[in-house]
Amino acid sequence: MTRGLPTALALTFLSLLIGFLVGIGLALMRVYGPIELRWISSGYEKIFRGIPLLVLLFIFAIGLLRLFLWTGSLFNALFTASIFALALRSAAYQSEIFRGAIMSVDPGQMMAARSLGMTDYQATRKIILPQALRLSVPGWTNEYAVVIKDTSLVSAIGVPELIYHGMAFSWTYPALFLGIITVTSIIYFLFTYPVTKYVGESMTSKLRSLGLGGGR
Amino acid sequence: MVGIGEYYPDLVSGFSMTMGLYLFALFLGLGLGIVLAISRHYGGPIVTRISTGFIEIMRGTPLLAQILLITILPYALSIPAEYTSWQIIVPDIYGIERVVLNTRILLCALALGLNSAAYQAEYFRGALSSLSAGQTLAAQSIGMTKRQEIRYIALPQSLRRAIPAWSNEAVYLPIYTSVAYIVGVPEFLSAATLVVARTYEALLVYFITAVIFLVLVSFITLLLNRIYERIRIPGV
Amino acid sequence: MVAVLEVRDIWKAYDTLEVLKGISFDVQKGEVKVIFGPSGSGKSTLLRVINMLTPPDKGEVFLCGQSLMDSKADLCKLRTRIGFVFQNFNLFAHLKAIDNVSIGPRLVLGMTKEEANDAAHRALEKVHMSNWSHHYPAQLSGGQQQRVGIARSIAMNPEVILFDEPTSALDPELIGEVLQVMLDLAQEGTTMVVVTHEMGFARAVSSEMIFMDKGVVVEKGTPQHFFQDAQSERAKHFLRKLEVLYGQSETEKT
Repeated sequence: MTRGLPTALALTFLSLLIGFLVGIGLALMRVYGPIELRWISSGYEKIFRGIPLLVLLFIFAIGLLRLFLWTGSLFNALFTASIFALALRSAAYQSEIFRGAIMSVDPGQMMAARSLGMTDYQATRKIILPQALRLSVPGWTNEYAVVIKDTSLVSAIGVPELIYHGMAFSWTYPALFLGIITVTSIIYFLFTYPVTKYVGESMTSKLRSLGLGGGR
Repeated sequence: MVGIGEYYPDLVSGFSMTMGLYLFALFLGLGLGIVLAISRHYGGPIVTRISTGFIEIMRGTPLLAQILLITILPYALSIPAEYTSWQIIVPDIYGIERVVLNTRILLCALALGLNSAAYQAEYFRGALSSLSAGQTLAAQSIGMTKRQEIRYIALPQSLRRAIPAWSNEAVYLPIYTSVAYIVGVPEFLSAATLVVARTYEALLVYFITAVIFLVLVSFITLLLNRIYERIRIPGV
Repeated sequence: MVAVLEVRDIWKAYDTLEVLKGISFDVQKGEVKVIFGPSGSGKSTLLRVINMLTPPDKGEVFLCGQSLMDSKADLCKLRTRIGFVFQNFNLFAHLKAIDNVSIGPRLVLGMTKEEANDAAHRALEKVHMSNWSHHYPAQLSGGQQQRVGIARSIAMNPEVILFDEPTSALDPELIGEVLQVMLDLAQEGTTMVVVTHEMGFARAVSSEMIFMDKGVVVEKGTPQHFFQDAQSERAKHFLRKLEVLYGQSETEKT
């Protein structure tokens, strides 16, 4: 029953990673870039938050499937397409997280760095960004939880992760469907709750209550 | 493009279903969310633990799993088919008959509402916690009971403070309702998929679907901003 | 004659820190008691114990003979008879001034909307804030907010009003307007218990002053007693410190 777990985890981490790289780029564009880049970044974020993940998945895995067939098998193609969708979406949220973190670094830090004679570039790289990374941690654990739950949706396009296997399993044992879903849910819960709880409950709690969470 | 035009009725009906699910879930979530937040903030040990448990579970498991679970409950509990196979059919503006409500749709809406309630509860709880203790003391000092204090002092201020976070929920909830497609609820995405099946224009149709959702989100955002301008109080 | 307030042997500790150690005193009708002392002496805690915003570990408080400790006693009802003015005003941020003052009479005392509004208007007039009745707290200065806070207490028509350092959070030029209101109240015969550093006020209207330090009552007496002939070293020391702070010798004023 945990057969789909490796797939789900692989999807999660790959998407988070790509989302991270793209997200940081977007955040930097938004905070430090010229107005055109800021527009692009802001637009990106609005678009990818305003579309259902399912629609995004369908666009990539059905509409654009041809583009992914170079990966070899159908499974690989669907898998890659899912990662694209998940990553692009995660990037939008991660850019918000990182941007918020940068803004919340004490402005006094920048002033102090400048007064020592550092250039803006040096100050940003050595003082602001490292602090912003640390401040982003609770947001990231939240995003991890979000993405791992999002992976459940790829079952709709035929990628065999947890829920997909659960449903497949229950064709053979239909009466157990309720139990299977419950166990699957527990598995998800075990992967999300301890992590978010462990990493600074109070900060995650504060973020949540401000509505900066993200998906379901 | 012309090919898609034939399917306007389906798309419109699907969109209405999406809006129906959205509004039902939003307001169910609002009511239940406030109750959960008050329970968690003011309640005794048992009440707090129950509401916290509910919130954590609903937030820690995927929405899809929750919908699947709740939707198959009648079958799992072996409730006889007479009770579950009812339908309400209403002709839409094009004259075509549509299933407006049946067990599955109702349960799906319920699942969405419960899920939304968990998220909303956290926003309200944060707002309640951020209220200065002095307000409570002042209310007590003029002899208000706890219930009066919650109703007339804590809630009005907390609800206003929760507005930014709550707007987030109100704006993006329609997006989440699309998960209902997977259990066969005839909402917008399912209508779009129908069109794809008939016209084979997958990319175009899904792209348009995405645009429509974007427009919806922007519209709700603007609407909410208008409303908030009206009810602003300086300093709350 | 039953005293308005009887405070009997109050003890309160936070963790291991003992904040109040056996405080007792009476307040008669029409009296103005001023409690003063260095910070940490427990003065604010004492006031909160009196209307049970903070329950004491030991001891009792009586309002006109009725005990507040009695768990059966309707604490809410008793609280309506004790006014409380906070250092940080604590006005209800979402209500206009008039509503801040009328919500108590309306909701807790059960007056009709008209009666409550009348009471509120009268109270606001007393504190000279009638022209600001439709402003929100965020639109008022500190002194104005505090006066509305006092009006909120007055409107409940209490037997005694407790003031917890009412001017400590105010900018210096705003202190005067609040003290003036308090002086008027005192001269009308309102029973008041005031925790404050404002010795000018104490000198003008207090019937008895209580000096507290480290959780105990060190000395009690009339203003004349304190300013001319304070007995304890600690009281004398503290009064001298206030002199330095406020730049004038209280003991030298006639």
